[in-house]
Amino acid sequence: MKNLKYLFLIIGISVFSCSDLLEEPVGLLAPEGFFQSTADIQTAVDGAFTHAINEKFWGRKLSIALMLRSDMVNLQSDQTRRVEHNEFTTLANNGMITEFWLKTYQGIAGANLAIAGAEAVDADIAAKNPVTAQAYFIRAFYYFHLVRQFGAVPYVDAPITDAEAAGSISRTSADEVYANIISDLEFAKQWLPNTQSSRAIPAKSSASAYLALVHLTRGNYQAAYDEAKEIIDNAGVYDLALEPDFQNLFDANAIDASKEPIFALDYNNFEAPNNAYDQIAPMTGIRGDDRNEGGGWSVAVPTLAVYETWDAGDYRRAVSMDDEASIGGVVVDFTQFDISGHEHAANWPYIAKYTRFPGAFDRGNARATSHNYSMIRYAEVLLIAAEAAVELGDNASATDFINQVRARARMGGVTQTGAGTTVTVAPGAVPADITGTVTVADVLEERRLELAFEGKRWYDIARRRIGNEVFNASGLEGEKPEFNDDDYLMPLPEDELERNPNLTQNPGY
Amino acid sequence: MNLKNILILMMLLFSSSLFAQNVTGNISDADNFPLIGATVIVKGTTTGTTTDIDGNYSIAAPEGSTLVISYTGYATQEVVVGPGGTVNLTLADDAELLGEVVVVGYGSRKKSDITGAVSSVKSEELTAFPILDAAQALQGRAAGVDIQSNNGGEPGAPVAIRIRGNTSINASSSPLIVVDGFVGATMPQPNDIASLEVLKDASATAIYGSRGSNGVVLVTTKKGQNGKLNVELNSTYSVQNTANALDLLNADEFADYQNQIRTNQGNSTPFSQGAFDTDWQDLIYQAGNTQNHQLSFSGGTDKVNFYASGNYFDQRGIVVNSGFERGTFLSNLDAQVTDKLKLGVNLFGSRGFKEGVATQSDGSVTVGGDDVISLAMRFAPDKPIQDENGNFTTNDAIGDEVDNPYAVATQRIDETITDNFRANVYGNYEIVKNLSFKTTFGMSSRNENRGIYQPSTLQITASAVDGRARVANAKRTSLLSENYLTYDAPIGNGNLTLLGGYSYQRNDTKAFAAAGTGFLSDAFSYHALGTATGLLQPASSLSEVEILSQFGRVNYDFNNRLLLTATVRRDGASNFAANNKFAIFPSAAIGWKVFSEDFLDNSQTISGLKLRASYGVTGNPSIAPFQSLARFASLYASSEGQTVFAITPDQPANPDLRWESSFQTNFGADIGFVNNRFNLTVDLYNINTRDLILGNNGIPEYFGFASDEILTNLGEINNRGLEISLNTRNIVKNNFKWSTDLNFSTNRNQVVALINDADFFGNAAPSYFSHDRSYVLRVGEEVGLFWGFDYAGVYQGGDFPEGTATLAGGVPGDPLFRDIPDEDGMTDGSITEADRTIIGNPNPDFIFGLNNTFSFGGVDLNIFFQGSQGGDIFNMTNVQLHNGDANTTRDYFNNAWTASNTDTDQPRVGNNSNREISSRFVEDGSYIRLKNVALGYNLPADLIGNIGVQNIRLAVSAQNLLTFTNYSGLDPEVNYFGASGDNNTSSNTVRGFDFGNYPTVRSVTFNLNVRF
Repeated sequence: MKNLKYLFLIIGISVFSCSDLLEEPVGLLAPEGFFQSTADIQTAVDGAFTHAINEKFWGRKLSIALMLRSDMVNLQSDQTRRVEHNEFTTLANNGMITEFWLKTYQGIAGANLAIAGAEAVDADIAAKNPVTAQAYFIRAFYYFHLVRQFGAVPYVDAPITDAEAAGSISRTSADEVYANIISDLEFAKQWLPNTQSSRAIPAKSSASAYLALVHLTRGNYQAAYDEAKEIIDNAGVYDLALEPDFQNLFDANAIDASKEPIFALDYNNFEAPNNAYDQIAPMTGIRGDDRNEGGGWSVAVPTLAVYETWDAGDYRRAVSMDDEASIGGVVVDFTQFDISGHEHAANWPYIAKYTRFPGAFDRGNARATSHNYSMIRYAEVLLIAAEAAVELGDNASATDFINQVRARARMGGVTQTGAGTTVTVAPGAVPADITGTVTVADVLEERRLELAFEGKRWYDIARRRIGNEVFNASGLEGEKPEFNDDDYLMPLPEDELERNPNLTQNPGY
Repeated sequence: MNLKNILILMMLLFSSSLFAQNVTGNISDADNFPLIGATVIVKGTTTGTTTDIDGNYSIAAPEGSTLVISYTGYATQEVVVGPGGTVNLTLADDAELLGEVVVVGYGSRKKSDITGAVSSVKSEELTAFPILDAAQALQGRAAGVDIQSNNGGEPGAPVAIRIRGNTSINASSSPLIVVDGFVGATMPQPNDIASLEVLKDASATAIYGSRGSNGVVLVTTKKGQNGKLNVELNSTYSVQNTANALDLLNADEFADYQNQIRTNQGNSTPFSQGAFDTDWQDLIYQAGNTQNHQLSFSGGTDKVNFYASGNYFDQRGIVVNSGFERGTFLSNLDAQVTDKLKLGVNLFGSRGFKEGVATQSDGSVTVGGDDVISLAMRFAPDKPIQDENGNFTTNDAIGDEVDNPYAVATQRIDETITDNFRANVYGNYEIVKNLSFKTTFGMSSRNENRGIYQPSTLQITASAVDGRARVANAKRTSLLSENYLTYDAPIGNGNLTLLGGYSYQRNDTKAFAAAGTGFLSDAFSYHALGTATGLLQPASSLSEVEILSQFGRVNYDFNNRLLLTATVRRDGASNFAANNKFAIFPSAAIGWKVFSEDFLDNSQTISGLKLRASYGVTGNPSIAPFQSLARFASLYASSEGQTVFAITPDQPANPDLRWESSFQTNFGADIGFVNNRFNLTVDLYNINTRDLILGNNGIPEYFGFASDEILTNLGEINNRGLEISLNTRNIVKNNFKWSTDLNFSTNRNQVVALINDADFFGNAAPSYFSHDRSYVLRVGEEVGLFWGFDYAGVYQGGDFPEGTATLAGGVPGDPLFRDIPDEDGMTDGSITEADRTIIGNPNPDFIFGLNNTFSFGGVDLNIFFQGSQGGDIFNMTNVQLHNGDANTTRDYFNNAWTASNTDTDQPRVGNNSNREISSRFVEDGSYIRLKNVALGYNLPADLIGNIGVQNIRLAVSAQNLLTFTNYSGLDPEVNYFGASGDNNTSSNTVRGFDFGNYPTVRSVTFNLNVRF
């Protein structure tokens, strides 16, 4: 019995003495020890990419803002945050900017995580760098959007561990951001394979194509030309070609088999709870339309001038726009689109690239489609090469490349109206080959039509600073009196400036 | 029930010993009042009896033997039997003679030596009427303790305990429960509790360190007494009804109401009235009942004593298909193994089975679709239960299409089984004189299994998916090892008590949930997830916390005049952030027994006076496990057309995060008057809680984290209050006694600091109300004030009255709201977001309890009032019912503005305020409630003596019989927690919202207590 007291002591001490109070999170996603293999890098890469398909990024907020800011798409709704983009009355608290600003940076943080995580993975460079290169690519992709929207931005290229230090950084100049974008894309180009199993996974040509566009945007025409030309010369290696039927580029069920997309976003008709899905089809769709389980919302609608100034013989117009629809069982042409009775219905042809063949979708109005939208495609590379060639004085190359694009359009094809009426456009003369001297204006015009409603036009207007021409009274949307040169850059979100007072606002806001 | 057999057995075993004379006598108290039922035992034997109604007893005891006479609340006395055979005795009040002993952390103290603020609740108070959770019995019984049911009278609903207000914003404000030394234990059932102490100030709670800032409830379960075997049977049976139902429109009135709305809204299509008239409230309510049976055995010898009990509780709810059933056992065994060594074991186990019915909708299932109470209020009365095809009707004519309340109540299955088990062993060894070592080792386990099935007969919520099932399981285990030395010896003119020890505790929680839709048959209920055609995402989680502590306490009692207490605890916890793994929590207190000083010797009125002061620091373990670590979030990603999971950065590491700390000052006085017939305790306290953890959404978005908040220690709140307890023995006549217990507490709560001191808004409304701001935290104000428009009456046409306006498009009959002037004193003539303001305060000015006990002869009467004054209620039920797309109250329909009834403060039906939160729905929630009235009768001893029974007590009581309130809703004791997101059962910021609560019940209870 006497020894009992020692027994108690032993029990007491032995139970508690083995703890060091360190937390070992189990069942949680914690950074410690997460990155073990290239598959783990891929998981982080997938996270970085998925922010791009989000409703707050390409799924709606950014794509629609870019459309509205261009001269090709007008606004039918009266929501203030949309009006601000369409009319260039954008305020620093614009509700669309705050959302795609956040989403873009979440994508960047995801890429930074993958890149930093890759360093912890004990694998051969040859095995892991092709995966890590995807993270470099998507980081450049995001920053390229940011720098074109805002100019100088806070530049973050590593996971944030010191919130206080990171919370007081200043904007990095646009030049420096571009240098970093180029450096990331060069890395991606070095390590990405020539082809991938899906166009939604960047291949070497994706990095090259973006390098070409970055250089073009910067006015580095030789570099732009060289990058584009390299892709064109090695189109076979990269498995690239123009799609014979222009409609297939906007058909969710056909696009994945096409050789034309170089980099696309991966939509998979799942209405993910984190909003990783698209709503572009309803945003551009016709009110009361009998298609797509509930028609569209009639928000982003081109002015009539877009349709009327587009050569009726151009097959691309038939593909890009709906001038006929079935509304409430009645087939009408665009002059009667308002029979739906909705206040925002417009009697103009609507954008058709998103609503005609959205593929399977998860929710009414063709929300959450399976349509893998091209971010850059082979035709654009040809037009980059053409524009750079014009600037370099190489008219022969410029003519060759721009006419390749026009020739594809001339091939025509079979499509249908919004009411399902089959439309067959036989190979014809429109648009004719350009002869003589190709101008920058020619290429920009070709880009406007070829890439219509694809979120490219605003960036073209901004990089060429042609706002004063396209937003005057003779423009497609008539005069936009509020437009001035400050509008080439959007305002940084107001609350972000409050969170970090070292950030400055763009002029004019 | 073979009670009779047990009875006979008892009689055989414990009948009187042989060679004894008959000793008789009378036992009374200091006021010469006979003590009924006092225990008289012959020491060292099992012979015993109890006094009768006149305090007389008779017992067989040999001359020279010792009688042990005991009575609850009085000091036990021992008397040697002399030759005369008569022993009369006056028992002194415990507090007077030996001093009532109060349990404190890691020990006990005489009540007279306590320097902190401690409230004790007696066992009789805990069992005055049948309750499931002993915490419910604290309501109105202890100053400074605020009790709220989380869901009215729902069987098995948890209870929120607040001691001295909310000391936090985001972390829990629930006190630490310690049962027989086991920290963080499940509350035992009320009949097993011997005493319950509420530790309130830092001097009392700092010994629990980082878990002490919300107060500590110390529970001691019953133990066996040395002497004869006691068998006690306690049975109660209650019948219950809903205390209230709303006066709603019948089908004809409802059609009239809908037509008026249509007219007001310019709609010429008349409402198509159904052919039925259904009172939905009547359909979902039923008479409920509760039964509670307890059988306990206790007893012991010099060396060993034991207590064992079994309890069965069964409640049939007043809403159809709701109920709760529980079986409990408890066993305490203590053995003095040697002179120096004592060993003991406590065992506790219970199984609870809750049959739930959905109340307090959060709107997350479908639009308002799953909440029986609010459905019964809003559902169209012109619909039948089932349509001609036998399908349950839905609310398809107006408002959101929802399932009918009867269908939801009867069809939906929601079952929760909770198993609790706890074992605690201890050894106490006296190493040398005055120095002892105690070690305890305990383990507890709680396993909760919940299954929910929504059958396909629910047209809206589950028909389309062919049934929806969900199963969730959570298992919590806790291991505790505590070891401490106690030294207790006279030193100089005083007495010194030293305590020092260490403890280790580990808590693990594992949870799992799975759900599916699409079942072949509703008969599977939730038991066949494998046959689901649609599997919903399963989830599992693990959380672990380790706490490692050292603690110590010094008590010095100088010359029975000055009392000094100092405590310290050092806690290390795994969930604390990397740079702040350990925390020290000190406290000190001083007490002055003024009454012991010479100058009070001659006082006729004051019979006791002690002054107390304390200061200390306690903590709130406000950091959840893993919360300070860097984290990824998982998210849906798309890869080659397939949905895959990927990661994205969620939050950065936060190694500097600190726990929340409360700095508490307490001043108290304990005063006795007139020979301690009147006892007054007053406490004043001030608690500053600093380093409150708030989510700071001020982190730049360019960080790219999925979580938009980073946790920071930026908040501070203050609680100040006054607590008064008064116990008086008003009349102490021979055959009539009247005593009163009054307690009163008032607490002022103030937000002192927030992030950038900016207003913080939160939402308590169900999701389909589409408000995102219903309460506000503002520096300088109390926590959780209602936020909305300030209602200014009905618009009568013409210009808006000065400083008011309607919402856009207002016409006569629409509500006017105050148009709040901006900083420059300008109003804009329209109602916008800028016109929202503070419109109510749910925090009561004071709460109180008043208990009167009368006894005359064998009859006793207890009348217990409890109340709350000054707290506002936001009546969300009326927001719903006045909106036009639901049934409504007759009161509103009859008083609403019309062209011919303009002198009213109720806007027209179908007005333009569309579920806006405004002061129109803020009401005074003050109430006084006759919580319990009980009449008891102890059968005369001569009647029952022959059957070998010590005592039989019969009682009848009624709970919630009367409520005095101006509140128009079902009940002023409300605690809506339904909206998902930032309010839940433990929320500090959501208070005073009423929506679809399970109503409080009114019950009549019959009680039988037999002691053998």
